[in-house]
Amino acid sequence: VLKKRLVKLVVNFLFYFRTDEAEPIGALLLEHCRITKEEENVFSISFIEEPERKYCFECDSEEQCQEWIEALKRASYEFMRRSLIFYRNEIQKMTGKDPLEQYGISEEARFQLGTHKQ
Amino acid sequence: MKLNERSVAHYATCDSPTGFLRKRVERHHHHAHHHHGTSYQRRWFVLKGNLLFYFEERESREPMGLVVLEGCTVELCEAAEEFAFAIRFDDAGARAYVLVADGQAAMEAWVKALSRASFDYMRLVVRELEKQLEEACKSLAACCKSPRRSSSSGRKRHLSNPALLPLQEKPTVLENGYSTWGSGVPGGTTCPDRDGGHAKPPPLPPRRRSAASSAVGFPAPSLLPSMPESPASPETDCFSKLHSWYGQEIAVLRREWQERQKRGHP
Repeated sequence: VLKKRLVKLVVNFLFYFRTDEAEPIGALLLEHCRITKEEENVFSISFIEEPERKYCFECDSEEQCQEWIEALKRASYEFMRRSLIFYRNEIQKMTGKDPLEQYGISEEARFQLGTHKQ
Repeated sequence: MKLNERSVAHYATCDSPTGFLRKRVERHHHHAHHHHGTSYQRRWFVLKGNLLFYFEERESREPMGLVVLEGCTVELCEAAEEFAFAIRFDDAGARAYVLVADGQAAMEAWVKALSRASFDYMRLVVRELEKQLEEACKSLAACCKSPRRSSSSGRKRHLSNPALLPLQEKPTVLENGYSTWGSGVPGGTTCPDRDGGHAKPPPLPPRRRSAASSAVGFPAPSLLPSMPESPASPETDCFSKLHSWYGQEIAVLRREWQERQKRGHP
């Protein structure tokens, strides 16, 4: 059974609303999750510790579906953290300098290479 | 409001900055002038990304609650308690959280960690680094010859370029990005280094050497597994420029090869 919902991505949360309401009915925290393309116009979100449970979303078009998949894949804090570590590492290799030093966050555990929080 | 609680609890309990803090029990009166007998409860706090979870006990499997650290400021606060700080939200209607640490060092560590926890802050830093990487790629690409060049003379010129020599001497620096990472790490989408090739003698085709010497490299076809979630953004200008540069080179080579074919194999 598909229900029409207004869906809003805010940082790493996916809020969903009934179309005429201002308060969300619920939210999904988009961490430790997998975004999968299902059949046409449909994608699903599932979480690592319960992979069979899929939250399915049907879009109006294939294009819209792809847009959402791309956006959701990048929406997690973990994705950003890994990007940051990647760029840091690349810049360090190319310039010999640690770009995080200017921010005073070069020592933070969460930005160290090899930190796998999953 | 519903939340995917089970998954959230799982996320919360994987390793992160943690510690005991005392949390002030807030009454919902905005007009109270004095907090007589303000009470604090000791809870176990876990900072995970942009979320601050708190648990009843350190051993609790599930959090009691969470604070989303977006649109907030973390500051020291005037409280009867020493080592107190507050998380206040831009939205005036939202309640503030007053927390008390064990000591000066703990307080400073928490304030620092919490102020830098927001998604927005991360996004800012990531964007900055993206720009910096692009700049670094550009300045290195400026050292490399343009795609339109004759192979032999270009190669010589390339090798004598002082900016590139040190790189060739230190193959470990140009180590393939994959090998320094574990699993679930950058896919072939952006700037991984080439492996091996540059350390070999001249028989390699010139374009390989030039690309290797650029230090940034390009996705080597054999090393392009499709990683489910590449952390690097494919929209990085740096990559697209490298991609079109490499693409141009392919076009030139192909044309040269086709011309040679027409003339008969030399």
